[in-house]
Amino acid sequence: MQGQKIMVIDDEKIVGDMAKLALEQDGFYVETFLNGEPALERLKKEQFDVVVTDLKMKGIDGMEVLRTVKRLYPETKVIMITAFANLDAAIEALRGDVHDFFPKPVKIKELKASIQRALER
Amino acid sequence: MKIENKIILSNVFNIGLILLIGFFAMQNLNLMLTKLRFVEIADDLNASFLEMRLSEKNYFLYHDESALLDIKEKIDSTEKSIAPVSNDISRAIGQQNLDLLKAHLSEYSEAIDEVKTNISHDVRIDAKLRAKGRGLREFSNTITSLERKGVNHIISRSKNVLFYSFWAILASAVIVSHFISQRILRSLREIQRLAKSISQGNFHKIEGNMPADEFGTVIAAINSMSEELRNREEELIQSKKLASLGILTAGVAHELTNPLNNISMIAQNYQEFYDVLSEANRIELMKKIEGEAERIEEIVRNLLDFSKPKEAKLEEKDINETVRKSLELMQNTLDISNVEVSTELGQGLPRVYIDDHQIQQVLVNLIVNAVHAMEHGGVLKLATRAGEEGQTVKVDVIDTGKGIAPEFLSHIFDPFFSTKGVGGTGLGLSVSYGIIKNHKGNIRVDSTVGAGTTFTIELPVYNKSTGFIADE
Repeated sequence: MQGQKIMVIDDEKIVGDMAKLALEQDGFYVETFLNGEPALERLKKEQFDVVVTDLKMKGIDGMEVLRTVKRLYPETKVIMITAFANLDAAIEALRGDVHDFFPKPVKIKELKASIQRALER
Repeated sequence: MKIENKIILSNVFNIGLILLIGFFAMQNLNLMLTKLRFVEIADDLNASFLEMRLSEKNYFLYHDESALLDIKEKIDSTEKSIAPVSNDISRAIGQQNLDLLKAHLSEYSEAIDEVKTNISHDVRIDAKLRAKGRGLREFSNTITSLERKGVNHIISRSKNVLFYSFWAILASAVIVSHFISQRILRSLREIQRLAKSISQGNFHKIEGNMPADEFGTVIAAINSMSEELRNREEELIQSKKLASLGILTAGVAHELTNPLNNISMIAQNYQEFYDVLSEANRIELMKKIEGEAERIEEIVRNLLDFSKPKEAKLEEKDINETVRKSLELMQNTLDISNVEVSTELGQGLPRVYIDDHQIQQVLVNLIVNAVHAMEHGGVLKLATRAGEEGQTVKVDVIDTGKGIAPEFLSHIFDPFFSTKGVGGTGLGLSVSYGIIKNHKGNIRVDSTVGAGTTFTIELPVYNKSTGFIADE
């Protein structure tokens, strides 16, 4: 699983930074984005193994990221995180074939475990 | 007095007037009938007197003694015919004239008697008889003609009385109904004004003296309706406040979750990778935690500002001065932005009754929003002008920025509603709204996506006696 590519999209810069710090310690390759547009541009050029995205963002939101990723690369796993601990949002996200759903504040260990599971499948 | 009573009273007045006129007309008619009756009697008398004089002439021409007896007989029959109608005659020509008539008759009778005894045919006695006969006839003629004139006078007087009273009744009816209808219309207009003001949401009670008529009852009904509406409105406001509280709570949760999550993730990594991290890394992470804590602090401070609006210290102020001070406060921000500033401050505007600092806070909020909306440059215009009817002063904050989408417009004053994403707390406009409402003012927004946004603040004009000109 060394060098496997993870993308983190969140308009809170610290989320990306901290996820990158933690995941890189485990030997993942991590790229971070502050909003959906450049992230999707990047995805069009290159496939990532796991995309971790915030649900609520200005412009292209997490749901649109999920749809685009699934269209481009059906095997890529998407993990959704959000500040809204909202059941409706979670259900909608899961229906859209999301791998996992994390309400903020995110437990980094749980996130890492979830990413591991995503890659094992 | 009730309008109903007024109408009844005016009708009673007119009917009274008509009765009075009828009474006078009857009086005149009676008088006229009496006089006519006398004229009839007088005609008979005149005929008798004429016959007497004819007999008198016969006597003088032919010295026929029987003529004198004729006259005597006629005098007797005349006196007899006067006796039963003497009351009527007295009423028509007065007792005095009646007595005079009787005197003339008896003098004439005496003169006849004298002539009868005057065998020597004394010329003077004859002359006396002639004079008495002429006198009787003339007196009777004069009185008859006077009475005819009297009848004519009464007729023309009745005509005049009827003519003028017709106009008097007409005028009284027209004037009274005009006044009553004016009164009704005035009250109706007042009620119309009240209804309009209620429809505009002013549910205040009508104070002062209630008119004691039907409109007083209507106004009392409107008052109780108004009070009911006010109670309902308060309930509505209360439920809206609860709804706002819901939005507020959700907003607080969301706003706080992001910095809390950031602190939490930093702290997790700090523990997990303490050994791996350099000292500089560790300090950098702690600084980030501090920054996020400050973010939370700001949210809490804004929240306190929002939940406990400071008591406004209202003073009489020149709005242009407040606008200038707000621009000075924002000078640095404006200098480093791409925004060009223009002002159009109205001259000779009435003074407003405001808390200078709070209104500055509102203007600063609006200016900050405008600058954010014009990231790629634009023009910020601040304008002041007098409101409609001179009771308010308006301040426009106009930007040529990206505008607000129509679906967001109705939410921009909701707490925690923000279009700025991470950049805003979503409290600025909501706090501003509270401040302006505290000033009994209004804040409105008008926006076109791609063309810009105009915020208009409306503040009440200062009034010496009440503070607010439009005090409720």
